[in-house]
Amino acid sequence: MLTGILGILAAMLVAPLLAKRLDQRAAWLLALAPLAAFLWFVAQVPQIASGVPLRESLAWVPALGVSLSFSLDGLSLLFALLISGIGTLIVLYAGSYLSDHHQLGRFYAYLLGFMAAMLGVVLADDLIGMFVFWELTSITSFLLISFQHEKPESRRAALQALLITGGDGLALLAGLILLGDTGGSWSFSTLDSQTIQASPVFPAIAVLILLGCFTKSAQFPFHIWLPNAMNAPTPVSAYLHSATMVKAGIYLLARLNPIFGGGGGWDGALMLFGAGTALLGAILAFRQTDLKRMLAYTTVTVPGQLTMLLGTNTSYGLQAFAIYLLAHSLYKGALFMAVGSIDHATGTRETGYLGGLIRFMPLTGAAVALAAFSNAGLPPFFGFIAKEFQYAGLIELGPLGWAITAVMTITNALLLTVAGIVFLRTFLGKQGRYPKTPHEVGVAMWLGPMLLALAGFALGVLSDFPEVWLIDAAVQAISYGPVAVRLYLWGGLTPAVVTSLLTVTLGVLFYLNSHRVRNALNLARALWHIKGDRLWDNLLHGIFRLAAWLATPFQHGSLQRHLALLVGVASVISLAIAAPLALHGLRDMQTSPILPPSLGSCLLTLAGALGVCFLRERIAQIAALSLSGLGLGLFFLTVNAPDVAITQIMVETLSVVFIALVLRRLPRSRRQPDTATRRALRLGIAALFGLAIAAVMLASLGRPLQGDIAEWFTAHSLPLGHGANVVNVILVDFRAFDTLGEILVVTLAALAAAPMLGSGLRPGGTAQRGFESVLLQQTLKPFAVLMLLIALLLLWRGHNLPGGGFIGALVAACGVLLVALGFGSRAAKGVLRAEPATLSGLGLALAAGAGVIGLLRGQPFLSGSWIAPGGVPLGSPLLFDVGVLLAVFGAVMHMLLRLLDEKEA
Amino acid sequence: MEIIAAITTGMLAAIGIWLMLSGNLVRILMGVVVLGNAVNLGVVASGRLGSSQAAFTTMEGVASGMANPLPQALVLTAIVIGFALLVFALAVALRAHAEHDSLIADDITREALLPAPDLPAADAGEIRT
Repeated sequence: MLTGILGILAAMLVAPLLAKRLDQRAAWLLALAPLAAFLWFVAQVPQIASGVPLRESLAWVPALGVSLSFSLDGLSLLFALLISGIGTLIVLYAGSYLSDHHQLGRFYAYLLGFMAAMLGVVLADDLIGMFVFWELTSITSFLLISFQHEKPESRRAALQALLITGGDGLALLAGLILLGDTGGSWSFSTLDSQTIQASPVFPAIAVLILLGCFTKSAQFPFHIWLPNAMNAPTPVSAYLHSATMVKAGIYLLARLNPIFGGGGGWDGALMLFGAGTALLGAILAFRQTDLKRMLAYTTVTVPGQLTMLLGTNTSYGLQAFAIYLLAHSLYKGALFMAVGSIDHATGTRETGYLGGLIRFMPLTGAAVALAAFSNAGLPPFFGFIAKEFQYAGLIELGPLGWAITAVMTITNALLLTVAGIVFLRTFLGKQGRYPKTPHEVGVAMWLGPMLLALAGFALGVLSDFPEVWLIDAAVQAISYGPVAVRLYLWGGLTPAVVTSLLTVTLGVLFYLNSHRVRNALNLARALWHIKGDRLWDNLLHGIFRLAAWLATPFQHGSLQRHLALLVGVASVISLAIAAPLALHGLRDMQTSPILPPSLGSCLLTLAGALGVCFLRERIAQIAALSLSGLGLGLFFLTVNAPDVAITQIMVETLSVVFIALVLRRLPRSRRQPDTATRRALRLGIAALFGLAIAAVMLASLGRPLQGDIAEWFTAHSLPLGHGANVVNVILVDFRAFDTLGEILVVTLAALAAAPMLGSGLRPGGTAQRGFESVLLQQTLKPFAVLMLLIALLLLWRGHNLPGGGFIGALVAACGVLLVALGFGSRAAKGVLRAEPATLSGLGLALAAGAGVIGLLRGQPFLSGSWIAPGGVPLGSPLLFDVGVLLAVFGAVMHMLLRLLDEKEA
Repeated sequence: MEIIAAITTGMLAAIGIWLMLSGNLVRILMGVVVLGNAVNLGVVASGRLGSSQAAFTTMEGVASGMANPLPQALVLTAIVIGFALLVFALAVALRAHAEHDSLIADDITREALLPAPDLPAADAGEIRT
C-alpha cells in the first residue's frame, strides 16, 4: 500500500519533466503508476472479500504514538479501486483535454499528488495520519481548482474551497484528537464504540467530525464551494469533485459509522442533512442550463443521499450506500468527461445550443447514453439497484422513512429529468447551433467515459459479481453488526418497486414539462435571492472589516504610540511583580559603603543625561551626552572595573565624533509642538519605566548572588587560561565563542551601516580635508603614532593587565581618527594601507582560525593551546585577541571613512 | 552603594525612554545611548559593588574582595556592540532624512506607508484598511 502511494508520488515528481519532453504522450506513461496500483488492489480483492483486512505499518512519530499505519478492508478497497481506476482514466483524458496548455506537466503533478493523498485518506488506519492526507487533498484540490489562475473566478473558487474545506479541517482535527484521547487509541480499527459513546464529550466529538465531513462532502450549508469548484478544468471536476474528493467526507462518515452509529442523534443528523442537501441539489441542478453546472449540482445531491443512506443504518440502506457510491462514481465520472469532450468538440456547454450530436460523436454519445441511464436509475443498470435498495432501506424505517422516501422520490425524479436533458437534448433531436463544427474526440478522451459507463452497465446486469467481491466486504466494514448482503435486479412487486415506478413517471412528467416546472420554480424568486455565495462574500467582507476594526487602533504606524504602549504595559507588569520584592530586598540587602567617587560619578552621569533633555543647542546636547558617558566610565573605574572603564571612555570619544559628523548633515531639529497632556503622558510612562527598572534592580540585589561561575572563572583564570586579567581571559578563552559572535555582529553592523553613511569616494568627489592648521597638525602627528603604539601594547599585555583586543582596537581607532581629522581621510587611508573591511574580515578569520587550532588538537572549538618559546607564553587566545582587535578596528574605520568621504550635503 | 546604583540606573532608564518617546529621530538616538548606559550600569551593579581590588589574579592565588569579573566581561562587549548599534542607527537616520526630508518619526512612517503611485485607487484602499 505504501509502495503504491510512493509510486504515485514518484510519478508526480517526474511528471513535469516527462511532460516537457513528451507533451500529452507523457500521459500514457504516467497513467502506468495508478494503473499498477489499481491492478494491485484488484489482486487483493479475494483476500478482502474473505473478510481478512490487510495491514501495514511504519513508525512515523514514535514519541507521540503516531504511526503511518495502513489498513485495507472492504470499504477502503472499494474507494481505493475507484481512486486508482478512475484516476488512470483521468490522467489519460487530461493529457488530451489539456494538450495545448503550457503547464501540462504541472497539472499532471497536481493530479497525481492528489491521487496519492486521496489513497492515503482511505487507506490510513491512524487518525493523525488520515488527517494529514485529508489536508493534503484540500491543498492539492486548491491547486487544481486554481489551475487556470488567469481567470479571477478560478482564483475565487479555489480560495473559497480552501477556506471552507481547509478551515473546517481544523474542526476535524479537534474532533479526531478528542476521539483518540477519549477512545484511548489512535487507530480506527481499535477504537471502542461503547467507551466513546458513553463518554460525556461524545456529542462534541460527533459535532466536530460531522462539521469536517459535511464541509468536505459539500453538505448543506457548506455546499456552495462545490459548484464553484467546477471552474477547474473538466478532468478535475470529473475526478475530484464527483468521483473522489467529495466522497472523502462520506468515507470518513462511513468509517466512523460502526463506532458512532446507533445512537446519540448521529443517525438522525445524517439523515436530516443528507436528505435536505439531496433535495436542494436536485432542484438547483434542474434550474441550470450549462451542462457542467447541471452535473455539478447533481453532485451536491449524491453525497447528500449517501449521507442519508448511512444514517438509515438498515441492512438495505447500507447496501444501497455501497452500491450507490460505486454506481455514482462510475456514471458521474463518465458524464463529466463526456461533457468535457462535448465542450472540447463544439465549444459550448449550453443546452440551448446543443442537439443531434450523436451523428458527430457516436462513441461519446453511446457512453453518455449508458451513463445517463444509470444516472436515471433505469433497469438494468447499476444505478437502478442503488435506487431500489435506497427506497427499500428507507421504507424499513417506518413513518420517518416514508417521509424521507417522499423527498427522495422527488429528488430522484429530478435527477432522472437532468439525465434526460444531458442525453436526449444533447445527442438526439435536431442539430444544434454549435460555435465549432463538432468532431469525435481522440481515443484517450472517449476511452474513459466508455469504460466507466460500460462498467456501470455490466455491474447491474451481473449483480452477483459485485455482491460477492466488493459490496459485501464494504457493507460489513461500515455496519455495527453483521449484515446479510444480497443484490438483485428484480425482487418482486415490493413497495420499493412501486416507488421506483412513481419516480420514473414523475421524472418523465418533469422532463416533458420542463419549461413549466422551471417557471414554477422561478415563482419562488425571493428564495433564489438568498444565495449561499452572496452570504459567503458578505461573511468574508465582515471578517476583513472586523480584522481592520480590531487592528487599526494598534497598527497606527506611529513609533511613539507603539513604544509608549509597549513600555507602559511592560512597566506596569514588572512594577507589580518587582515592587514587593524590592521592598523586601531593601530590608535584608547587604550594601557596600557609599564611596564619594562612585557617588560623584553617578551624579555626573545623571547630570549629563538630564542635560541632553533640557539643553537646546545641539552641540551642547552632544557634550552633555558625552559627559554622561564619561561619568559612567568614571563609575566603572571606581568600582574596580578598569577594562570596562577604558572601553567606555574610548567608545564615548568615538561616539561623540560619529554623532557630530552625522548631525552636521542633518538640519536642526525643530521643536515639536507637544500638547500638555501628551507631555504628561510621556513623563508618566518614562517615570513608570524608571521605577520599574529600579525596582527590578533592587529586587535582584536583595537576594544573595546566585551561582559560582564567577568564582570558577577567577580561580581558573591563571592555571587554565594563563592570564591574570580575568575579564580578558573570560573574553578570549572561557567565553570566546560568545566573543566571536559579538565581533561578527560588530562587523556586520559596520558593513550594513557603511553604505547608508556614505557612498565612498566617488570620482570627482572631494575627500574630507583636514584642519589647515600647522600647529595642530604638528601636535597630532606624534600623538597619533603614540596611540597606535599604545594600542599594540594594550593588546599584548591585555591578558595579564588592563587592555586586550577590544580596548586596543578602540585606542587605535582613536589614533587614526586623529590623523583623519587633522590631515584628511586620504592620509588616514595611507596609514591603514588596506581596506578597513578587509581588515575586519582578516580579524574574523584569525579569530575563527584560533578556534580551529583547538579542533586540530582534538579538543573542542576555541580551546586554548599554549606554547612558550624562550619563556614568552604564546597561545591561541592571543591570536584570537589579535583577531578581535582587527575585526573591531576594521569595522570602526570602515564606517568612519565612509562617513568622512561623503560629499558635504 | 548598590541602592544608589539601582536608583541611578532607574533614573537613567527613565531619561532614556523620555528621549525615545519624543518623535524626533535625533533625540530618539540619544535616548538609545542613555538607555544603553543605564543597562550597562545595571549589569555591573548586579554583580555587586564594594570590591577592594580589580579582577586580577596572581600566582599566589585569589585574593579576597576581588571585583566580579563576569558582568564586566559582559558589559565590555556590550559597550562595543552598543557603539556599533549607535552608528547603525545614525546611518538609518541619515538615510531616512535623505529619503523623506524629515526627522520626525511619524511623518516618515506616514510617507513610507503611502500606497505606491501606480496602484489603482481601489486596491490602495484595500491595503490601507
